[in-house]
Amino acid sequence: MLVLILRRAGFSLFSLLVVSLILFALTRSIPDSPARIVLGDEATEEQIAQFEADHGLDRPVLVQYLAWLERLVLHGDLGRSFTTRLDMNAQVTETLPVTLELVCIGFVVALTISLVLGTLSALWRDSPVDYAARLLAVLGVSIPGFWPALVLVLALTVERDWFPPGGFVPLGEGLAEHLRSIALPCLCLSVFYMAVLTRMTRSSLLEVLGQDYMRTARAAGLSRPRVLLYGLRNALVPVVTIAGVSFGHMFGLALIIERVFNIGGMSRALLTAIQQRDYALVQAVVMMFTIIFVVANLIADLLNAWLNPRLAARAA
Amino acid sequence: MSPRDDLGVSDMAPIPVVGRGAPGKPLLEIEGLHIAFGARDRWFEAVRGVDLRIHAGEVVGVVGESGSGKSLTALAIMRLLPRGARISSGRMRFAGTDLLALDERGMNRLRGSAMGMIFQDPLTALNPALPVGHQIADSIRTHQGLGRAAALARAEALLDLVGIARPRERLRAFPHELSGGMRQRVMTALAVANDPRLLIADEPTTALDVTVQAQVMAMLDRIRRELGIAVLFISHNLELVAEVCDRVAVMYAGRVVEGAVVEALFEAPRHPYTRQLLRCIPRLNDETGPMPTIPGLPPRLGAIPGGCPFAPRCDAAFARCTAEAPDIWRRGDHMARCWEALR
Amino acid sequence: MSVTLTHDGAWRRGMDRLRRIVAACGGPAGCLGAAIVLALLVLAVFATWIAPHDPLRVSLPDQLLEPGGDFPFGTDQSGRDVLSRVIWASRASLAVAGVAVLIGLALGVTLGLSAGFFRGGWAEQAIMRLLDAVAAIPVLIWAIALVGIFGIREIEIGPFTFGNEVKLMLMLGLLYVPTLARITYTSAASESQANYVAARRLQGVPGWRIMLSDVLPNCLSPVIVQATLMLALGIIIEASVSFVGLGVQPPTPSWGNMLADARNYLLSGEWWLSVFPGAAISVTVIGFNLLGDGLRDRLDPRHALPTVAG
Repeated sequence: MLVLILRRAGFSLFSLLVVSLILFALTRSIPDSPARIVLGDEATEEQIAQFEADHGLDRPVLVQYLAWLERLVLHGDLGRSFTTRLDMNAQVTETLPVTLELVCIGFVVALTISLVLGTLSALWRDSPVDYAARLLAVLGVSIPGFWPALVLVLALTVERDWFPPGGFVPLGEGLAEHLRSIALPCLCLSVFYMAVLTRMTRSSLLEVLGQDYMRTARAAGLSRPRVLLYGLRNALVPVVTIAGVSFGHMFGLALIIERVFNIGGMSRALLTAIQQRDYALVQAVVMMFTIIFVVANLIADLLNAWLNPRLAARAA
Repeated sequence: MSPRDDLGVSDMAPIPVVGRGAPGKPLLEIEGLHIAFGARDRWFEAVRGVDLRIHAGEVVGVVGESGSGKSLTALAIMRLLPRGARISSGRMRFAGTDLLALDERGMNRLRGSAMGMIFQDPLTALNPALPVGHQIADSIRTHQGLGRAAALARAEALLDLVGIARPRERLRAFPHELSGGMRQRVMTALAVANDPRLLIADEPTTALDVTVQAQVMAMLDRIRRELGIAVLFISHNLELVAEVCDRVAVMYAGRVVEGAVVEALFEAPRHPYTRQLLRCIPRLNDETGPMPTIPGLPPRLGAIPGGCPFAPRCDAAFARCTAEAPDIWRRGDHMARCWEALR
Repeated sequence: MSVTLTHDGAWRRGMDRLRRIVAACGGPAGCLGAAIVLALLVLAVFATWIAPHDPLRVSLPDQLLEPGGDFPFGTDQSGRDVLSRVIWASRASLAVAGVAVLIGLALGVTLGLSAGFFRGGWAEQAIMRLLDAVAAIPVLIWAIALVGIFGIREIEIGPFTFGNEVKLMLMLGLLYVPTLARITYTSAASESQANYVAARRLQGVPGWRIMLSDVLPNCLSPVIVQATLMLALGIIIEASVSFVGLGVQPPTPSWGNMLADARNYLLSGEWWLSVFPGAAISVTVIGFNLLGDGLRDRLDPRHALPTVAG
């Protein structure tokens, strides 16, 4: 078990290193030097050389990368933006919690509903519940999250005054208002993943329900709910894997949803950075997302090792 | 279907077990069991009127090729038929209780306690995600209301009973960490965990190596003697049946075609199918030559011919066999469903 | 009489052919998916003739007209016909998704196949480990970030000018490579162990020919299924990226940038601006998903894993 954890964690670290190196190389390989962007077109060659020397941009890319990595790993320091001179840690700590809250709530909603719906759908196969769940699953994976967002804004905020059409009300300004402001974004965020996870839960549970050991459990006289719990434990393995991946991907969709609802999360930070050609900030934000993604997958792997020790034994 | 179409009568001497069941009354009594497969308006009968009696402490073998309905019959007793199969008619009484009248809760009280079942493939029949001790203890806790520790202690004693060395350590083992023979021992421990009166063993050794088969069979035989359990032993292997059973029922195409005390069946088989099965048992002192086989294939579900279903493959068939379903030939507790036997 | 007979025969042959087509798509749902995809291809290829208006023609008197009459889907803020724009937009979406999948297939299958077939080579193993590591990339975030890094301006390389769509195709294609390489690798590796490969080797057939003519055809099924589902993913990602202004650039219509424009008219009630392009995306993606599921049922029933997009 310990071997497994170490192996997984090691591979996650390797992933992060490779990905961060690629990201770093990309941001340094663009034709425009940050100096040119900051100083403008009128800057002289000397000014640019001076700027590059000041910020260490004249060193080889690998050296720059190692320095960047050292700051990030040892001090948790994302560095300063070249363009705005703002401390990027401050910018990330300001915007990340908003996005994180949206994604976490959306994730919990998606996971809860899909587990219930997928289970009922598998248990009552070919019943109206099953058909409804399957229809929802096909529609859910086919509709890009921001479109229902737009339609919901139209229907529930413009036509009726149920929810605010956008904006983010911090928790400090009242729980009810806060929840009202994030309800629709969270819902829109969760629909796609709800569909994916419902499908996965259903097909995985259906497979498990047909297994011999489920019949053994019933032959041992365990009640149906107990037998179902047995089965869910086994059926959850692929669901957990997909859920781990989904959690990371939800941040991508959150970028779009935040824009629809005009919420000041990571989306605004990233898109502003892109507009201002602030590569350092783009790099920091994407790195944050990638770390979250890798960690979510790692947690899913470990959860699966606990759920099904045979998988763990095979992997180690 | 008359209730007299059963096999065996109750004057056979079952192994006496003190304090178990009303004397003279069978422990399990199946009459005219029909099982149908299908959906909506297309149903095929896979079991077509099976009668079976098992007395307390007795070992009854059911033999037949795959598809003969023997496993379905076993599952029907536990009311665990697969999706798409259902009991279409018949009666099943177990220790005075009408099994078909019980609701799910009532059945759950019987399953795993008064009736235990061993399945063919112990690797797929045990939950891969749970330690074996946990699986046995769960059954004990369900039926005996014991606490976790007491249930595990009992599970340990059971592992010891089925001949697993270092039972305390094995409690924590997962099925994939055990050998095939050990897994089938665990399966047995699970089936007898709550002192059953009837053990249904569905091809318990088919998935095992030949050497392990003998060990597991010896273990099963020892346990059912020690605990005084009646056994319904399902197998396609006549030799095994001969070794352990008191009485045998031979099934073909969803019916019992011959039933008798094991000696009678082996010495004077009346049904040509039984005779051909016996001829197929390899013997060491046999002259060399091709292995005898039964030509042809068993009929497909839903395409069972009229008359005697075995007639197309029978070496003794005559005109009447394909025209009319055979009557029952009977001598004492020996029965056969065959025109040739009646001639 | 004879006429009726031949007619009957033709009808039966037609039904047989229909049944075969339905089976090839993996059942009625897959067939519906195929029909939607086919219809879209027709729309995209023949947009010039099908669209009733010029999608780029600005006409200020026709601003924000409700659906009806000459403009069944209404008009936008510049008086352009929404229906024509929706039809023309299918070009950009299908092109981005299609070319990206082709790029991903070309690279991913090559890498996965050679790594799976020449298992011993350390280089192949290293490439697969590296691709596994890079698979830790949330596609949508990276697509946005990469376009952001390289900018949305046109890039001129030699005599060619590349629009932003081309960048999007390239980047999506590269992001698809790890998944496709992994899938090809898995089946190629197990396929290379098969007895028929050993038999071909004994016949003295060179390795690369066995790889291309024996192993490759046998591991294409899961790849085709995945590629179909990636087309759906590509449509969603193109729309998402265009929606935040980093994809297809105006005035070229794309469903994503049409929705981005529509966002400004949400509160004033011009619902047709957001409903029709969104519906177009959804129908397209449903089409590819149904087709992909159908193909999977038919070609690769054992890998019933839904893909995750976003």
